[in-house]
Amino acid sequence: MRDAHRNGIHCKRDSLMECCGPGFASPADAINAPRETLLYTIAIYTGTGIQKPDYLATVDVDPESPTYSQVIHRLEMPGIGDELHHMGWNACSSCFGEAGMSRKYLLLPGVRSNNIHVVDTATDPCAPRLHKVIEGAEIRAKTNLSGPHTVHCLGSEIIISMLGDARGEAPGGYLHLNNEFEIVGRWESSMGDIKFGYDFWYQPRHNVMVSSEWAAPNTFMPGFDLEEVGHLKYGRELHIWDFEKREPVESFYLGEDGLLPLEVKFHHDPDSTHGFCGAALSSNVIHWWKDDAGKWQWEKVIDVENEPHPEWPIPVPAVMSAILVSMDDKYLYLNNWLHGDMRQYDISDPHAPVLTGQVWMGGLLGKAPEVNGVKMAGGPQMFQLSLDGRRLYVTTSLFSTWDNQFYPEIRERGGVMVMIDCDPINGGMTLNPDFVVNFGKEPNGPSRCHEARYPGGDCTSDIWL
Amino acid sequence: MTTYRVTIANRENATFEVEARRPLLESLRAQGVDLPYGCKYGGCITCAAKLTAGTVNQRRQVALNNRQINAGYVILCVARPMSDITLEIGVDSHGELYRNPFLDPLEPHELKASPHQEPDDGP
Repeated sequence: MRDAHRNGIHCKRDSLMECCGPGFASPADAINAPRETLLYTIAIYTGTGIQKPDYLATVDVDPESPTYSQVIHRLEMPGIGDELHHMGWNACSSCFGEAGMSRKYLLLPGVRSNNIHVVDTATDPCAPRLHKVIEGAEIRAKTNLSGPHTVHCLGSEIIISMLGDARGEAPGGYLHLNNEFEIVGRWESSMGDIKFGYDFWYQPRHNVMVSSEWAAPNTFMPGFDLEEVGHLKYGRELHIWDFEKREPVESFYLGEDGLLPLEVKFHHDPDSTHGFCGAALSSNVIHWWKDDAGKWQWEKVIDVENEPHPEWPIPVPAVMSAILVSMDDKYLYLNNWLHGDMRQYDISDPHAPVLTGQVWMGGLLGKAPEVNGVKMAGGPQMFQLSLDGRRLYVTTSLFSTWDNQFYPEIRERGGVMVMIDCDPINGGMTLNPDFVVNFGKEPNGPSRCHEARYPGGDCTSDIWL
Repeated sequence: MTTYRVTIANRENATFEVEARRPLLESLRAQGVDLPYGCKYGGCITCAAKLTAGTVNQRRQVALNNRQINAGYVILCVARPMSDITLEIGVDSHGELYRNPFLDPLEPHELKASPHQEPDDGP
């Protein structure tokens, strides 16, 4: 059965156009791309007690396929202890005009090991293969950086936010790779007064990049101590960069409204200056834009209230660890990892988001302890939306040490991937009853899935020049 | 060359002779002990084990808070033995390593020490 599937259409190089470079001419073209049939998610054993390498799982998401909703391939990393986390493509729509480029390689950094794994997903999309490993020791020695996180391509080159220096202390900087995956050096001219790094996104038509703040690797890797927030060991600022000069030019001090500002997303529309950040601990969405006078502004537009819990001395914060903007820039999705809900907001007016959908899955509030027959450990965590905005794939693990603190039962149960059907016309979300991937049943024991990507591009990869 | 004996209590009290100058992770893995690890510089806690007898030098670790240190945790990728020691290894030793930070806050004296430069104590 598997061979029949592997010879089918899903394993051919689809989505790469003959005439042009990778990706799509515009967000509107991306929305009309063929439906995804495969997705890749990382799955970790680091920190779980299972002495096996982390791996890249290929998940069959074609409902016509006999192996729909199953892991159909596992690419193990060469060693243990990487903690795979986020991923990024070697090329995206920012290279659409470059016929020689293709979206062939997925980069998988190990947050703890600093190794960056370059995986060829094009030769056989069902069965990705390891192309190259950039050794963590080489990165540390040549750039004095560690703690890789977000990968964005930059035309034909690649930059990766690195959250620490070689000793794991903040603020780190940006690793610059060329398209042969060789280390060019540090990308940034200056980190200015930036205290911490985390995520970043750029909008070239406005010569701007925005970056956010988690903490030093030595602070977040061992786990979360609330007291360290008060001691300013976690971030609370956003930074506006001059993208061409590669230096920060302005910072927003978000204060108590913006504790742990993590994921940053601009609108996909390359002419827009609007963008959003989810502040994880404050559980707020921050909106920024450039006003008519050319000045950057910010405001809080969503505030998820803490919820009471019978066993907690204080109300439970939502912990909004990720946000995503649909390709048509109409909806913003967010997760509340400790509460257990995914939400959809209509952001047609970015100053005034309207809640249009909500789905419960796991979480500490006990609203949905079981989903599609699987007992949940963890809550909604990372998610990826289809290009047409109709299918949202959601995973449950945050980071091994943080999972171990808040959801210790994840050790036995592993992570879960579910799918939410979204209505991009009228709004609304519903849990899909036919799709669930239980990483608790993996061959080597319970693993934990985190970020997901589609071979043909997705809503968190592509940037237009 | 000074050596010490390491007893691993939760591996049927298996014993290993290790060099005083080498990190315990490196010495034990070289002798076939399957141990978890991540960063290999003392920053990430993945290789934590519990020390139940003896003493180690783990001045280079920056992962543990004082509550974890007081509970006996050591970071094997940088810790070097200063006597014969007994360890419990792997996640079965991690019962007191992880705690819900909202339900069980740290007292001021239990916080992690601020980062500081230690003199290099050699390879």
